[in-house]
Amino acid sequence: MSTTLSLCRCGGRMNKAAVGGGGGGGGPTAAAAVAAAQKQKTLLQRVDADVSNLVDNFSHLVNLARVNDPPVRNSQEAFQMEIRAARMVQAAESLRNLVSELKQTAIFSGFGSLNDNVDRQVAEFNRLEEGSERLLEKVGEQAAANLKELEAQYYSSVLRSSQGDDG
Amino acid sequence: MEESSRKRVAIDLDRLPIKRLNAIDEIGNEQFPPDVSNEDKRLGMLRRIDFSSIVADSIETRRNQKRTSKEAAPGPQQTWPWQGFVENLQLAHQELSVIIDLINTVEANDAVAVAGMQRPKQLPNEILSDLAVSAATKLQRLRNLGRYFKQSSKALEQRVSREARFYGSLIRLQQHWKVKRQRVSATSPGNEGFSFDLVDNTSSNTTILSHPLPNTLVHIVRETAGLLAIQRPQKSHQCISISYSASDFNSRNKKSLKRNIYKSDEILQANRKETLTDEDVNSWVKDTHSVLHEIHQSIFLQQVFDRVKHESYSPSPGIYVTGMREDFLQLAVGQDTSIYLSLVPFKKEDEFLDSMGHSQNTTNEHPHSDSSALVVINEKDMLNENNFGVPSPAGLEIYVMHIFHKNSVVRLKEKKISASRAAVAGQAAADSCGLSHFCKTIAHRIFSNKVLAEIERLVSRIPFVQLLSHPPWHSRTSSWSLSLKFPESVFHSACLSESSNNYDAKGLIRSQLHTKIVVKDDQVTVSGEGAPSTLCSFRISPNVSSVGSYGCDLDDLPLILLQQIAGRIIQWLHDEALIVGMKVRRDFLCLYFDLDQGDMLGLVARVDPDDVNGCISWWLIMEDALQDDGKFSTSTGEYKNRRFLGHLSLEALYFMLMDLVNVSTDNGFS
Repeated sequence: MSTTLSLCRCGGRMNKAAVGGGGGGGGPTAAAAVAAAQKQKTLLQRVDADVSNLVDNFSHLVNLARVNDPPVRNSQEAFQMEIRAARMVQAAESLRNLVSELKQTAIFSGFGSLNDNVDRQVAEFNRLEEGSERLLEKVGEQAAANLKELEAQYYSSVLRSSQGDDG
Repeated sequence: MEESSRKRVAIDLDRLPIKRLNAIDEIGNEQFPPDVSNEDKRLGMLRRIDFSSIVADSIETRRNQKRTSKEAAPGPQQTWPWQGFVENLQLAHQELSVIIDLINTVEANDAVAVAGMQRPKQLPNEILSDLAVSAATKLQRLRNLGRYFKQSSKALEQRVSREARFYGSLIRLQQHWKVKRQRVSATSPGNEGFSFDLVDNTSSNTTILSHPLPNTLVHIVRETAGLLAIQRPQKSHQCISISYSASDFNSRNKKSLKRNIYKSDEILQANRKETLTDEDVNSWVKDTHSVLHEIHQSIFLQQVFDRVKHESYSPSPGIYVTGMREDFLQLAVGQDTSIYLSLVPFKKEDEFLDSMGHSQNTTNEHPHSDSSALVVINEKDMLNENNFGVPSPAGLEIYVMHIFHKNSVVRLKEKKISASRAAVAGQAAADSCGLSHFCKTIAHRIFSNKVLAEIERLVSRIPFVQLLSHPPWHSRTSSWSLSLKFPESVFHSACLSESSNNYDAKGLIRSQLHTKIVVKDDQVTVSGEGAPSTLCSFRISPNVSSVGSYGCDLDDLPLILLQQIAGRIIQWLHDEALIVGMKVRRDFLCLYFDLDQGDMLGLVARVDPDDVNGCISWWLIMEDALQDDGKFSTSTGEYKNRRFLGHLSLEALYFMLMDLVNVSTDNGFS
């Protein structure tokens, strides 16, 4: 259930991304929208299949837990139980792979958020650049002022005066 | 045994399959025995076989055997716990063998064919025991399933947490770096086709670069713990090194962050601890980000070096290439200086951590030790090592990066502007960017340091001259000024009161010397009052003050400056003498005082840049010397009417002037 809900949210986000990308980049084509919807439908079907697989196999497993008279039947049921358990694990693994695919889709298809992030980074770097430029100018001005002051101090110092006296 | 059992067994067989009438009731209905199914018939037949005698005999024989065995070998008193089970199995085996023999005998006699046999009806305790066994077996299987589920859930949890770490790190790094996915088969564990694309589209230009950069894709590797690591491409940790010697390249020191990096042929480390905290993951992501930043910087530096080499191919003013190799470029700047640009690896690159975390320091080999020497060796390399006044190599490295980065930004902006305006902007940008500008800047820095050294040498020898720096904030322009402040005149206040005297006002304005020296590239321009040229020296009129600028060489600069200073002092003395009412005239660096009775006294300034005691010395010449040859002789001791005054300060000159005033009023000179 939680997987289904999260998938719906991801699907919604994908739709939003598609729509958002459409607003920002000129709009997705109809084919792209259809493809996105088809992919969402496929993913939901996979989720449903996996979840139903889990539920069915578990119910069969519970049914097979009954103790029967013939021992041969018990052996057969034991084998069936192992099969059902393996199928359950396989369904869980399939769900995990589905979640991985969704994450990859979110990474590589979230153009809206990526663009926003890039814009934010660009603005931040421009601000840093301007700050650095101002800082450099400030440092230069301060260096020039300090140099002028030091020169004035030197030429009015005793050392310089003594050089003049000696000269 | 079997023959005895055959003899004892009594078998009752019903050969005639006739329904026998059981009873007839009053009505006349016949009552037959109920139909017996085949299975019941078989069971009935089997039950007729009496095995009790056989079983009893076998039990007796077994007891006898036990007694004999006990009597024969008095063994341990303890009985084997499974002895009864074994006996039961043996009895069952015997029963089965009897049955099989019976079946074979019956079949061989061909009298009766045994169609099938059914398991005899079980007793309740047997049913319960079978049920218990089945339940226990099923319980065991369910427990096995439970363990299997636990293991699977644990494995799934670990995989989920690993993936959460990996994708979480990837999403965080995606905010700063471009992530690419290549759908390739996983040839190595942990390689899922993800990679960081570090190419910089703003600064790269395939038409400009000499060869494409292959190291822009950094493959992502997923470690066993789910952490995100990267595969370092070759030559991904390089920096530009600039030096004045071919054998002195300083690699930058970089903090070693090797746990995030794998070489292309290195296997994943499997000894990572699985229990990782959020802080570990955060620090890991930060380290990876730092490493990517280093690689990106290295790529940028490679691009810069490529652009430098590309620009060195085309002839441009200021660029003189004297040596070139793959990662090495030698440029001549100035007359006797060369700079060497090279791509060198970071120092820490040769140290790497093995799987156990031990650092292995390899020898930091010289980057050019095993490459063919195509460079032209500068014979003056040894001299350049001791040169002071050359720009710092670290500063040059930063400056070359700044130039080419600015160039790339300008080009990027040009692309956004229209084509017609781009041409103009490009031309303007080219003047201040590029290798030509860089080389000219270095040449200018070296030359300006020499100029500054000359000026400082002069100023250090002349106490009343001050040197002031005026940084113009242009990389190829330097500016200084010399100032000279004359002492206040005794008649300063008197001059102020005479407002009608325009000359006095001008004299106040010209109480200081301001000579400006500007160096642009390798051109020296001196601007200030007075002209040292011979033509202007004949200007007698005191009202004319020329402020001009003119170029000169480095060799002539000290002399020109000294002439200006001395000329300005002479001018000042001339003005002061006029203030006090003396008749004076000026001739270049000479000041002639007209004494009474036709005598003339001359004060001459002699400039010598190589005079260590002071570059400006003063001579006093008298009327006789002027009349003799009309020339000023620098040799001391040859003329009696010439006196060497030495290197006088401004106050001393002023007092001397006042003394001359007294002399002139007394009408005598001694």
